Order: sequence, then structure tokens, then C-alpha cells
Amino acid sequence: MNIRDIVIGANASIYYRMDFRKIKGVFYPRTDEQVQEAVAWARERGYDVTPKGGGSGLSGACTGGDRDRVMISSLQMKEVLSVSKDQGYVDVQPGATPDEINVLLAPLKMKFYVTPSSRDVATVGGMLNTDGGGNDAWVNGTMRDNTLRAKIVLYDGRLITVEQKSVKSSDSQLESDLNSVGMTINDVASSHGTLGFVTELRLSIRPIVQERLIGGLAEYRDSDELGSTLRRMIETKSPVKYGEAIVAAHPDVRGELRPPELILEFPEDYASNLENITHFRKLTAEELAKLKDVRLKLPKRNPKKGLQLALFEDYGFYGDGLKMIQEGVAGIDLLLKKHGFVPFAKYGHAPSKWYLGNNAAAYGIILHSREIRPEGITKAEVFKAVMELVDLCEEAGITPKPEHKWPYNDKVKNDRIQQIREVIGEGFNTFVLQSDCNVVLSSMV
Amino acid sequence: MLTTTKRAQKKRSEMTFEKCVRCGSCMKICPIFDAMGEEQYSPRGKLYLLQVMDKVESDPELAKEFRRLLFQCAMCGRCTDVCSSDVDLLRIWHEQRARAIKDAPQEFAYLGALEKSLENVKNIYGLSPEDRAVYWLDELEQEIPNLRKRVFPEAKTADVVVFLGCLMSFRASQVDVLRALFKSLEILKVDYLVLGAEEFCCGHPLDLMGDEAGAKKLRTHNKRVIKQTGAKQLITCCPGCLSQLQNNYNFTGIEVLHHTQFFDRLLQSIEPYKQTEEFTYHDPCELHRICNVKTEPRSLLKKMGVQFRELELSCCGGGGLLRMTDPNLSDKIQQLRAAREKLSSTTVITACPACREQLLGNNLKTKDIIELLVTCLSEAKG
Repeated sequence: MNIRDIVIGANASIYYRMDFRKIKGVFYPRTDEQVQEAVAWARERGYDVTPKGGGSGLSGACTGGDRDRVMISSLQMKEVLSVSKDQGYVDVQPGATPDEINVLLAPLKMKFYVTPSSRDVATVGGMLNTDGGGNDAWVNGTMRDNTLRAKIVLYDGRLITVEQKSVKSSDSQLESDLNSVGMTINDVASSHGTLGFVTELRLSIRPIVQERLIGGLAEYRDSDELGSTLRRMIETKSPVKYGEAIVAAHPDVRGELRPPELILEFPEDYASNLENITHFRKLTAEELAKLKDVRLKLPKRNPKKGLQLALFEDYGFYGDGLKMIQEGVAGIDLLLKKHGFVPFAKYGHAPSKWYLGNNAAAYGIILHSREIRPEGITKAEVFKAVMELVDLCEEAGITPKPEHKWPYNDKVKNDRIQQIREVIGEGFNTFVLQSDCNVVLSSMV
Repeated sequence: MLTTTKRAQKKRSEMTFEKCVRCGSCMKICPIFDAMGEEQYSPRGKLYLLQVMDKVESDPELAKEFRRLLFQCAMCGRCTDVCSSDVDLLRIWHEQRARAIKDAPQEFAYLGALEKSLENVKNIYGLSPEDRAVYWLDELEQEIPNLRKRVFPEAKTADVVVFLGCLMSFRASQVDVLRALFKSLEILKVDYLVLGAEEFCCGHPLDLMGDEAGAKKLRTHNKRVIKQTGAKQLITCCPGCLSQLQNNYNFTGIEVLHHTQFFDRLLQSIEPYKQTEEFTYHDPCELHRICNVKTEPRSLLKKMGVQFRELELSCCGGGGLLRMTDPNLSDKIQQLRAAREKLSSTTVITACPACREQLLGNNLKTKDIIELLVTCLSEAKG
């Protein structure tokens, strides 16, 4: 063991205490060739390969579980390779962050529009592998909507380019086989590093639109009323550019927040239409900026006493589920309290968009959740709570299980990944697909 | 065995790094990570190691490697600044450095010479304490008559005490800044004195090594001498000294100011600077983040009508003893910045002798704000 091998385990999830002896090598390649060399090194020794980006996700997929494995980080592959303003794309290496890309695009008055709250550290390679989206996914879509193609190194060293409707490869047989199973960018999205190492992405960029936006704050009696508002916004295809719901906040971090409430930013000429959907108070630019900042920092803040953690990344309420947010949250909180957790904050993108395992789009609210960890709780007890939350969500029709992008118990997505791996071979981040994935995860809490 | 107090302190410290949610926001803004590109050099990586320390300490080689990593840090405080989880990373780095030196002094023998110098001759260069006011006096006495009379103990009392610090007292590269500082004070008829041989190191290097006892001895002496002068204000050009004087000396009745604060307050308007070159402004980390002096340097530049480009709020690579602990890394940080921010075609304005050394050492043009100010003041004086 050396320090380099241990620190590669650093990630934002609750799964971070791993058996470091099983990390057999750590690579920080800069080029496609170096990625191929690292993959070959692992393959020759029979090790699994786990790709890692910024480590800001909460699923634990970037840990590689408990297999003997080689970790390949994309953090040194952060170059913006080319920009085509006319054709509206940018070619980037996988370790670039949305912030880094947008700094370079700003002088061209162009923007890459997928900007999650972790945009300062989340890499676009990692974001495609989790199909990440920002608080404006409602209007700008998730990573899969904004990725035109991804170049991937497979476990056997071959290269493929996955596009939105097909796959290309210099190996014509491989190309034919993958196209016959209909592989597209949808399959790479949410694959959690199980298919290969993304070495380059072509991302959609669009002009920065100078439109006059204003802020608004809508407060509600309860979360169902908020859900009904979101439903109407979705039905009317509301042009809201920024929507963040604060459903609950612990007194330590509540400040001036009055949940449940909805922070909105929208075109000025939409204000009268919005008034037909919900009551709201107009915000000054300063008030809006302050509230955005409060929201941005909520996931990272701690209570005055004790520590917070995220048992789940997020709960997705959509369709008829939007009528039952109150009941859903109450059930979740009851379960948390049963296990000694104190609900700390629930907030999230709303309205938002994400994809289910069958690639159908869902529209609703992505509710992030943070809890105060009880002192002295064992990792087994923590993970028991997680698994009970999975079951609760299953029964209540809430999508993330335990994270909406997490494939291990999303049978449709899991089967699809297995189908593609039959063609391209196994060897990438296999633990995610193992039937005992939950046991592996519980050992790392 | 740990005493109750020590146990409580240990618990507090552990709780602090346990608060880290490993979000990674501190990673890309860290100059060390930027230069090295691997996670173990990032603040998150180091905190993560503390969180899984039980697995690290069982292996002596890993513990040794971790101790080395602690000193591969510029202590710039940017990680603390960006952290939304209330983790006081700077405090953790201080505590862990002290612990590292205590646990394995043999690994830090190269710092021993510095500690010995500070103990024996009270400066970081191992030079005679008497020489504190020799080099620059020789250089400047002709230009600034009566400068010798400004040096303690010849000058016994004054309204303002100038605390030069080791770098400015001994380094030839700082003489232009000293010249500008003294000339400005003379032109503005400020009643000031310099401590000369009675000035000891402020204690900052020992603080960075976690040697609180050693730092305290130096502080006690300085505080006594400064009090004797009856000064109402204490000014320094060095943000490292400033952080010590402001935060660790607990002065009463004496206001501690950075020289940019002092002159900004004193001057409502300034003769415009006749600018012929392209300027950028580099915020010294200890001035900007640790002492929270952000507006005064800019205010002075504005009053002089200086046009400049703001640089990223990043470290020059010269902080945290990094020049001693890993000089190559220190240089690499500056070289990366110079390339990224196109510094070779500009003159970098700053207000810190350590940043100045770092910039000059990497063949970049630099000026302290006071050098611009003295030009304006001299112009106005005719």
C-alpha cells in the first residue's frame, strides 16, 4: 500500500472506508494511449478497472467496490481539444469540469449548459457515467441530451465511438455487433463506469442568450401544494430557467428559508403566466443570488452539533408522485428517525428532468436529502437504513433506488448493461452489477 | 497517556476533519494539486487520509509519506476559504504539522537549521542580529539623511513603529521596497522608527512548523520592545508578519496595519501615476485571506489611477515554508501561473516581500505598491 493508492478512494459518498490492499494500481493518464496502456496493465494481471472522475458523486461507484482493481483517474485529462462555434460543439477530454469548459467558451459567448451544483469539480466523463444534470435540466436536459458522442477504451483495448444513434469502430465486426444490439449514448449514460473508460466527449454548446431574467420566491402550506405547482409547470412547459425547491431545512441551516418553498428564475415576460400557476414574490437580483448561494452550499453545511451525511443522493417524485410529496417525505423521515437519524435538509431541482432505466424521460422533482448521523451508529446500521429506504421508495413509487442513476437494482438498466458487456467484454467496474453489490457497499460505510 | 485537556483538543480536531464531506470543491483550486495533478496532494486527499488514519498509521512508511505531504502545502488558506462544511483546514494543517515534527523530528532535520537560527540569532538567515539594520542602511543612508536616527534605540519613541521582518531586513532584493517605504514616510512627515537589532523574527516560520513555544519567546521580546516605543501604530510590509502581529500578539493600544492600509488611510487623494507599462495585481494569500486586507491595496491603486488586470486569487507558491520543504514544487506553481496568466509580459504588482522573492526568482517583473506610491508622492512634491 502507498498513500497514492489510498487517496484515490476519496469520494463524496458514504462509501469511503475500503480495503485499500485491493487497489493494485493507480493511473493518471493524460492521453488515449496512456489510458490504453493502463487498461492493458490491468488486463494482463486480471484486474478489474474502475474509472474515476472528480469523486463528487454519492453513489460510491467510483470506489470500485471490493474487487482487486486498477483505478484510472481522468483528472489529468482536462484539455478542451477543439471548439466549433458554428456547429455548436466542443471536444473535451473527460476530466474537464463544466466550469473549466465554460471559462474557455465565455469569450466566444457560448456555453455548455449542463451545470450541476458540483460543476467546479464534477468531470464531464463522470457526469456522463451518472447522466448528471443541473438545476436547469428541465430546460437543458441531462448529460445524455448534451453529449453528441463519446470515445471509449474497452477492456480489451479496442476503441469505440458511441454516438446518439449508433456506434463506430475501426473494428468492423465490433461496430456491427454493437449496432445490432442498438448501442447508443443512452447506454453510456448512467453506466457507472461498467462499459469502459471515456477518453473524449463531444458536447453540445449553445450561445449565451441575453434575456432578461427575474427571480421569484413561492412559499407553500405543504409539499403537496408545491408538487401541484410543479405539475402545472411541467404540463404547461414552463420556461423556468432555474428552479430549486427547499422542502425541509434543519434550524441550524434554515436561516431565512421558509420551507416548503420554490426559488425560481424565469424570463421577465413569463411573470404573468407564472402568476396563473403559483403565487410568488419577486426577488431582487441580490436576494436571488443570496438564495442561490444558500442552496448551493446546503449539501456541504454541517449542523452545529454532529455531522451530516447523505444516505441517498436523491428521491425522484414525478407524475402522480408529485401529489404525494408530503406523504413520501413523512415516510422517509419516519424511517430515518427510527434509525436515529435527524432529518437535516431536503431540497432539489424542480422542475427537473431525468431518465429511467428504460431511457424514458421523467419530469418532476429531484429531492436531495441530508441527515444528521447519530453518534455511535455502526456501519451495518447505517446501511440497514439505506436498504430500508430502497424498499420504501420501491413501494411508494419514488424513483431513486438508492440513487436514480444507480443500476444495481434497476433491473432494466442492469440487464441492458449486461447485454452490451456480452459484446464488448467484462472487466470494467464489475462490482456495480454484482448481486451482492449492497453487501460490498455496506462494508465501506 | 493523554491529559483531559489534550484528549478534548484531540477530539475537537478530529471532529473538525470529520466534518469534511469530501465534496472536492477544495481540489481544483489548490495550487499544490494544480501543480502535481494527483489526489494525494489535494486538501480533500489529505483530509481523507486523516479520516482513514487508522489504516494509515499502522504502516510506518505510510505515516512517513503522509508527514511529508503535510509540508507540501503553501498554507494559502484557499481550501478553508472555499469550504462550505465549516472545516478549518488551515488549523488542521497547523496542528498536523506540529504533530508530524513531534512524532518524527528526524524527518524534518532540514527545518532544524531554521529553528536553531531563530533560537540563536532570532532571524531566519542565521545572520548576526546586529546586522538587521546594516545592509539597507548602507544602501539607503545617503539618499535618506537621518535614516540612522530612525533606528531603535537611537530613536526611542515614535508614533509609528515599522516592523520590517526578516526578508526585508536582510535581502538585497527588498531594498527598492524599503527605499520607497522610508521615502514615503519621510515625504509625508510621519514620526516613525525602525526596531533594528531589537527586532526579532515575528514567529511566523515557527507558527507554520507548529512550534508554539518557540514562537511565543520571539513574540514576548518583540512585544516588550514595541511597547517601550510608545507607538500608537505598528506597520509592516510583510503579510506573514502582519498575520502574527495581528492575530497572536494581543496588543492593546497599538493598531497593527499593513503598509497599504496605513497609506490608504493617510491619503485621500494621490498624484496620478504616470503609467507606461502593463500591470497585473497579485493578492498575497496571507494578506487577502488570513488578514482579510482586500480593499486597501486596490483603493491605493485606484487613487493613483493605476490600470491593472486582476489575477486569480491563487498562491505564488512561496507560502507555508514550501520554498524550504519543496523548492521545485514552489517554482512549478509560479511557472504554471505565469504561463496561464501571461505574466511575463506584465509587471506584477503585489504587497508582500515573500511573493516578491518568488516572482523575482522566476524572472518575472514585480513592484510593491509602495514603489508606485513613492513615485506619485515624489512627483507631487516636485
